[in-house]
Amino acid sequence: MRLLRLFIRTELQFALEYRVNLLLEVMQMVVVAGTSIAAVLILFTYTEVMNGWTLAQMIVVLGVYYVVQGAEELVMQPSFERFMEHVREGTLDFILLKPVSSQFMVSFRHFQTVQTLQVLLGLGVVVAGLSRLASDVTPASALAFAVTLACGFVLVYALLLFLSTLAFWFVRVDNLLAIFWAFIDAGRFPTDIYPGWLRLTMSTVIPVGIAVTIPAKAIAGLVDLQTLGLILLATVVAWVVSRAFWQRGLRSYTGASA
Amino acid sequence: MLGQGSIRVYRALITQGFQVLSAYRVSLFLYALFSFIRPIIFLAAWVAVAESQGGRLGAFSKADIGGYFVITILVTHLSAAWDFFEFEFEIRRGSLSPKLLRPLHPINYAIVQNVLWKLITSLAVVPVAIAIAITFEARFATTPGHVALGAVSAVLGASIAFVFGWVFASVAFWTTRVHAVVTLYQRAAFIFAGQIAPLTLLPGPLFAVAMALPFAYMLGVPTEILRGGVDLGTGALMVVGQVVWLAVGIALYRVVWAAGLRQYSAVGA
Repeated sequence: MRLLRLFIRTELQFALEYRVNLLLEVMQMVVVAGTSIAAVLILFTYTEVMNGWTLAQMIVVLGVYYVVQGAEELVMQPSFERFMEHVREGTLDFILLKPVSSQFMVSFRHFQTVQTLQVLLGLGVVVAGLSRLASDVTPASALAFAVTLACGFVLVYALLLFLSTLAFWFVRVDNLLAIFWAFIDAGRFPTDIYPGWLRLTMSTVIPVGIAVTIPAKAIAGLVDLQTLGLILLATVVAWVVSRAFWQRGLRSYTGASA
Repeated sequence: MLGQGSIRVYRALITQGFQVLSAYRVSLFLYALFSFIRPIIFLAAWVAVAESQGGRLGAFSKADIGGYFVITILVTHLSAAWDFFEFEFEIRRGSLSPKLLRPLHPINYAIVQNVLWKLITSLAVVPVAIAIAITFEARFATTPGHVALGAVSAVLGASIAFVFGWVFASVAFWTTRVHAVVTLYQRAAFIFAGQIAPLTLLPGPLFAVAMALPFAYMLGVPTEILRGGVDLGTGALMVVGQVVWLAVGIALYRVVWAAGLRQYSAVGA
């Protein structure tokens, strides 16, 4: 925990070093989120409900999308990208020698602190959507939201850890992360608008759909206990599998010069 | 200008381009994902909206929406331009300088790489487009005339996108980092190019703005012609609009590039 605080502090100092850049990044986030909301508004000039989703619910989905994406870019992306660089350049050995869990070191060493603002922006969009929602937020639905959102983070984390672990064997896998970037875009709309095989790809292969759609449903009180249980189960399985895979990869890593 | 010499130069460039691309076979195709993911997302969204309205939206049936976005996949792919990122990198690392010393303008290398990448990756993109067309039962009202005019329009659209890509890349001569500018450019394209909706489905004022900006002429215009969404007369008028925007783009590019080069050498000296 203390280490984590230290990592965050140094990265924050790094970000504040380039103030103009910071300002530009914030401006970009606002523009991106604004145009995405505009796209949803354009869709809803033609209808009141889309596949059972109202405008307010769609805004909530979009908000959750930016929260998940922001969290992913806040810590997972920068850390895993650096990890792959380490494998490629043979500098991973220095990290493995440190007396800390290597999975922790690899996953949480690097932060893009600006992305905190994207998470906040996303939360703001969620709140804006909620204020227009017909049903009130109950403590139960708020709790379901928090739980499913946490599950969403873990699912995304597990997938990224899995993809990154492939680096032990293939060395160059940074392109695999590009698949993730391409598909994360699909999270901006609820997964149930896609027909059959597409929905399957968007929600199971790449869990972004689940990570975004389910929390948005939960806060509107639309998720039953059975779904909640399934999501929790899936999350635990994903976590265990990706962790086991990581350790398997670590064992087969022989170092750059060995 | 296109004499024997330049044909030979281009043949060498193409060989070199093939070698560079085949060194990165996998990533080559991964980046093609970006050509079809977004059209599929908005296709699904518009179909859902159309279903809520009894299967029709103005002039568009569900099958027409399918046709529009399937063609969008192809045109998005054809008009992909990514030079701004590469350019920023080259300026920052200083690897642009040796390129400038070569007798051939760097844009020639970029053109060859761009065209080759599109040719090769269409092997993956076309089957996906066909699969999506079947899944969504897309309908096309294309006549042979539309195909001929649409082919011209698609090439013009890709050229406009490419030239404007270079105009914005040249901003890096002044700012080194172009990310912020590029984001603005791409988000404007997101709304106005026809990525999120067929142009005629944009609400009135947005439609007017879209037709006054270059973005629609890169994507929306070729798509409408190729799917047979406009009659040939209107299509021809749109193509004239494309020619105008291409001319504007080339003129802008010349001015910005020349001014940028002066700026750049001032930094390096």
